[in-house]
Amino acid sequence: MSDYLLEMKGIVKEFSGVKALDGIDLKVHPGEVVGLCGENGAGKSTMMKVLSAVYPYGTWDGEILWEGKPLQAASIRETEDAGIVIIHQELMLVPELSVAENIFLGREITNGGFLDYEAMNAEAARLMAELKMSHVNVAMPVSHYSGGVLQLIEIAKALGKNAKLLILDEPSSALSQTETEILLDLIRGLKHRNVACVYISHKLEEIEAIADTVTVIRDGQFIGSAPMSELTIDKIINMMVGRELTEKYPHEEHTIGDVIFEVRHINCYDPLNPQMKKVDDVSFQVRAGEILGIAGLVGAGRTEMASAIFGYYKGPHSLEVYLNGEQISVKDPEAAVKHGICMVPEDRKRHGIVPLLGVGQNITMAVLPRFTQGGLINEAAEFATIRGEIDRMGIKTASPVLAIASLSGGNQQKAVVSKMLLANPRVLILDEPTRGVDVGAKYEIYKLIYELAKQGIAIIMISSEMPEVLGISDRVLVIGEGQLRGDFVNDGTLTQEKILTAALTRRQMAA
Amino acid sequence: MIASGTKNFTSLFSRYKVLSLLFVIAVIWLLFGWLTDGFFLSPRNFSNLLRQMAITGMLASAMVFVIISGEIDLSVGSLLGLLGGVAAILDVRYGVPVVANFLVVILLGLAAGLFNGWWVAFRGVPSFIVGLAGLMAYRGVLLGVTDGATIAPVSPGFVIIGQAYLPLLVGDILAGLAFLLIAFLILRSRQKRQQYNLDVPPLWQEVAKLVAIGIVIAGIVITLDDYRGIPIPVLVMMIILGVFTLLAQRTVFGRRIYAVGSNLEATRLSGVNVRMVKLMIFGLVGLMCAFAGLTTTARLAAGSPSAGNLGELDAIASCIIGGTSMRGGSGTVYGALIGALIMASLDNGMSMLGVETFWQMIVKGSILLLAVWVDIATSAKS
Repeated sequence: MSDYLLEMKGIVKEFSGVKALDGIDLKVHPGEVVGLCGENGAGKSTMMKVLSAVYPYGTWDGEILWEGKPLQAASIRETEDAGIVIIHQELMLVPELSVAENIFLGREITNGGFLDYEAMNAEAARLMAELKMSHVNVAMPVSHYSGGVLQLIEIAKALGKNAKLLILDEPSSALSQTETEILLDLIRGLKHRNVACVYISHKLEEIEAIADTVTVIRDGQFIGSAPMSELTIDKIINMMVGRELTEKYPHEEHTIGDVIFEVRHINCYDPLNPQMKKVDDVSFQVRAGEILGIAGLVGAGRTEMASAIFGYYKGPHSLEVYLNGEQISVKDPEAAVKHGICMVPEDRKRHGIVPLLGVGQNITMAVLPRFTQGGLINEAAEFATIRGEIDRMGIKTASPVLAIASLSGGNQQKAVVSKMLLANPRVLILDEPTRGVDVGAKYEIYKLIYELAKQGIAIIMISSEMPEVLGISDRVLVIGEGQLRGDFVNDGTLTQEKILTAALTRRQMAA
Repeated sequence: MIASGTKNFTSLFSRYKVLSLLFVIAVIWLLFGWLTDGFFLSPRNFSNLLRQMAITGMLASAMVFVIISGEIDLSVGSLLGLLGGVAAILDVRYGVPVVANFLVVILLGLAAGLFNGWWVAFRGVPSFIVGLAGLMAYRGVLLGVTDGATIAPVSPGFVIIGQAYLPLLVGDILAGLAFLLIAFLILRSRQKRQQYNLDVPPLWQEVAKLVAIGIVIAGIVITLDDYRGIPIPVLVMMIILGVFTLLAQRTVFGRRIYAVGSNLEATRLSGVNVRMVKLMIFGLVGLMCAFAGLTTTARLAAGSPSAGNLGELDAIASCIIGGTSMRGGSGTVYGALIGALIMASLDNGMSMLGVETFWQMIVKGSILLLAVWVDIATSAKS
């Protein structure tokens, strides 16, 4: 008998003749944390879908042994019953149901045929407390919470299922540093309870902190597996990209001009609870060619702030926007784009891509009227632009007419950025531009940001990854609990500690 | 060789959904042809069939845009009735000249459509509710203005658009021109794609496609000429098909209809005025209700208080049978018209056989359910 909890051997999965996985092995001991690394499109998510029977037995080749016995599951239900629980990159929560109802979705506690809310709420509260999230009201609808809290609710849901193997697919992409710490602590706690974990993340610092063993795949092929103690982040990156990555952040000189964009007195209130302020009187300026990083914990109000500037904040809000010293009104995204204020939203799937349209049609969406002649679209001219953009951005796609939904996350993101660049922005807001994007594509996006800054575009980059904020920005604003709590020039003396301290320190009220 | 042959065949079918729809039509026609000793397939009945589907076809051509954009409009049947009724009243009671009458009714249709669209796009009322409200209210207005009585007789000049036929020579010339235009568009787009080094299907496929289109057009025209020529309502429907197909595939507005249906939020955040897109779609629907209403009144030579009853359901069913997704984001105008043709064939064939109305309804309902199930079952596999 093997002493493995899980053994996947020689897994091959094809999509219409293209091998997404080509003979991949993965072995997990009980209570072990295995870091699964690979660039976007390497096949990590496909691998986990094979394991959890999203792709049922028979649609792939190879063998899976679970506790020494062959696992031939036909549905997710069977793998969950066996103790394999997957938490997907995209969250699977029902926004209208309460936190507790979501946690118990599909295995509700009943009493004489009726839902036993007391028992469910109590158990949900206990699970959330275990995640150090006891401030979350489990009777509130999930839609009330955002970002990191949702991810932790999802994890609580998995814990409630008594998992023996927990698969986390990019769990920290929406988490702040503190929340990530809580998550990592939690996984360490699970280890002691003999729960094994496959941890998929682009954030190699987290892999380094948590993994016992690291398995690397590239282009659907098994590259190697080794104990973390024998590896370093650089070695893992090497295995992932197959080449030396000299520096994570390119630095390119660019001149910073005059102030071209200013917002004053942004105030946003919670749409459901108008007494609650999400953004509290924030004002700032950006100069031409300046990269302004906006740091802060998840839930601090940065996304709300950005959506207010871009004209699509749903709740009550007020602000003044000045472009080149003149006050302008940004009542909706249409007006914003017309003024040259463009945004790449945080939630690519919901706000970025139009899934059924082709890559090309997504790219030209904002500027389509430009290609019309006598009322009809000049498709030749449109295609010329699309080809140019695909080459310039290095978007990997079989064809420009391929539906964008079939591309990997990094390539979708490049297409979304390209769409906004075609609109000739003067101010570009990037909300978590590298979220769920692999190391190689990240580097390309950073280079692009510098390129744009050189052209004199004012860049506002919201990011929860502090090394990224520090690596790229000329200046850093720190937002905490909806307030502006720091404005630092990034002259080399700024550290993560300083930013975090500022974010957590309540502003002294002026007398 | 054989295996790859069948594979090509099935992939051809899944790529060109229209082929499977045409296959269904062929089966239905052969079946009814056999059951009616060939009478179903006579030129006279074919002419009838196309005239029958013209009104539903006009409604479906616009409804397909509504469904692609992720909305629904239940008011079209009642609006058709109301506009047809108004046209009859203007003609019979007030003797308004035909051209002026048409202009007034078309503008009225546009206004009513925009009114519906305004509630949906700018007031945030779900389109299902706006449509339901219109379904009741427009029919109510019609009953009010007609006192529930038929308005007749409509003047001969009016009746032309519903009952007349194109002179044979004019019809043939128009058909020839239409074919040349289609050939020109297909070949030019092929040339443009080659110019930009884009994939083009093998030349034989394009030529085969053109030959098939040519045969269909020639077949339709020759058969119609064999009876009395191209009926005016069928001509109107064909022109709408052409214009709307171009609108869907080659204009900014058309592209945005698909974008809105696939992901409204992302489209909005790209700086597109999505409300305007929706407003215009409903405007188009109103316009088509006017066309369909005028045709109905002309065909009956009277304004009937029950005209267009349940017309919205036929239009929606046509779109769905024609491969439009209820989830929005995909569908075609020609698909919707083929759907309308399938429905009309069932109606016509069963009436000819003397099948009782209740059976007709049961069959049509079952076909609708089956069509969607087949679509779901086959697309889930790929």
